[in-house]
Amino acid sequence: MSKLYNLSAKEVNTGIRRREFTAEEYIFQILERIDKVNPKVNAIISIDTEGALEKARLVDRKVRENEKKIGPLAGIAIGIKDNICTRGLKTTCASKMLEGYIPPYDATVVRRLKDDDAIIIGKLNLDEFAMGSSTEFSRFGPTRNPWNIDYVAGGSSGGSAASVAASECPVSLGSDTGGSIRCPASFCSVVGLKPTYGHVSRFGLIPYANSLEQIGPIGKTVSDVAMIMNTIAGADDNDQTIQVTYRTPDYVFSSKGKMRIGLVRELTEGAEPEISKRIYSTMNLFTSLDCYCEEISMNYVEYALASYYTIAMAEASSNLARYDNIRYGFNFAPDGYEWNTYYAKVRSNFGDEAKRRIIVGTYVLSSAYYGKYYLKAQKIRTMLKQELGLLFKKYDILIAPTMPILPFKFGEKRDDPIKMFMIDIDTVIANLAGIPAISVPAGFINDLPIGLQIMASEFQEQKLFDAALLFESKTNINRSPEL
Amino acid sequence: MVSKETITYLCRLSKLEITEEELVKYELQIEEIIKYLDKLDSVTLSDIEPIPLERNFYQLREDNAKSFESDPLGCSKNRKDSFVKGPRIT
Repeated sequence: MSKLYNLSAKEVNTGIRRREFTAEEYIFQILERIDKVNPKVNAIISIDTEGALEKARLVDRKVRENEKKIGPLAGIAIGIKDNICTRGLKTTCASKMLEGYIPPYDATVVRRLKDDDAIIIGKLNLDEFAMGSSTEFSRFGPTRNPWNIDYVAGGSSGGSAASVAASECPVSLGSDTGGSIRCPASFCSVVGLKPTYGHVSRFGLIPYANSLEQIGPIGKTVSDVAMIMNTIAGADDNDQTIQVTYRTPDYVFSSKGKMRIGLVRELTEGAEPEISKRIYSTMNLFTSLDCYCEEISMNYVEYALASYYTIAMAEASSNLARYDNIRYGFNFAPDGYEWNTYYAKVRSNFGDEAKRRIIVGTYVLSSAYYGKYYLKAQKIRTMLKQELGLLFKKYDILIAPTMPILPFKFGEKRDDPIKMFMIDIDTVIANLAGIPAISVPAGFINDLPIGLQIMASEFQEQKLFDAALLFESKTNINRSPEL
Repeated sequence: MVSKETITYLCRLSKLEITEEELVKYELQIEEIIKYLDKLDSVTLSDIEPIPLERNFYQLREDNAKSFESDPLGCSKNRKDSFVKGPRIT
């Protein structure tokens, strides 16, 4: 049998339905592949062998017995970022503070995947509590870039992107607060979508910055990503930020003719010269495909990062206050301790980045500085939203690089928070404005991947998919490194 | 300027014990972060208001209790009989 682990999600689903191979055979190959490559990339931090095989057998039975109710994702192996709750399966946020936490419930997205007969293969590495851009802040050790294991995979959903690039699963879920899906997707040459805020339920996503984050899919192809989006998007009673009036369409691809495209000058010029050059050449490609393209300028881009980090750290400090090691956590008996001492002592087990964000978040929210930082940050958010609103009246999509730099070596930025923050400059805009954005592979420079970022206005994911698919079909970029 | 005293105070507020070594490291790093966030000062935004995410009361779901099939406190390491043990509150 050929290498089933290399198939796209769509091909897996078709193959199983047509009985070319069974889900069980496929899952065995996936597990073998994980055995072989995961020690090199460290993308998966817990594997659910039994659960995956059991589900595979169930799918096979449904296919054998010609059941009508075979889910649209039948047989597809999917990895889940370890900050998304999976019932009965350890969910740690790569933190000691959630060591051994086994959720008693499934996140809505996980329940939907299971209902559609996808197979959860395991939990994926991340920066502790999704705070970071390189997956170097995981207590399980960093995820390595499958294209060159001396380099970071990006973050915080490093495991989600690297597992797909390493063919450990064809698709995965990540979460994106300031670029955490798109950054690793770009660094690992795969496709990653941050949906519109309020489009995918966050119920069961362990919160970091509630007003910014969204769960989204990562895959090797645009159509695989759209396929997962069809399952996870839509109304949920358990998430009051979901826009219930919005009906999620099925993302089938449509060629709508001429697209109007704006290239964001500040983001493109701010990238490394080679990356910048590639993104400008993308504009030429779209023009040759009969799209209307021009360069545009955004006034508030230069304040976006300070606004983003103020809001993200404020929300982080508030969210992480719940970790008291009483209801869940590691083994540390409270006997003999006074409350405050115990609380402060156990919380010393947060990693460096989480601690820094708790401290800065507490600072910007303190009464003396609230107006100076938090309030201003929120106002800039309004300005950005308004500015983008005007741009999207004129353009269907905006394009820019996903990352301003190439993947970097381990340790290069780990102890320099500002250097690490700066690489999020191109991605935070979508989170601040709540708009959808996708990263698609755009080639390689010095054998390291780069990504093209496409943004659209709220709930216009269809435009992202159309543009991304058009780009994908005209470029032939490798998504499967040798490992 | 963020001093060691400020960091210590913030750690007390956020119930976070840090070592002397961390204090030295964080002082420099946090100073730099705050300096970067000061960029917000260079823009005038007096007429702008933040956009709140609002929902009317009737749009919210019913506040009904739902039970978990398994024990929601099953992960606590500090159980005694049917109770969860915590530190002393003085």
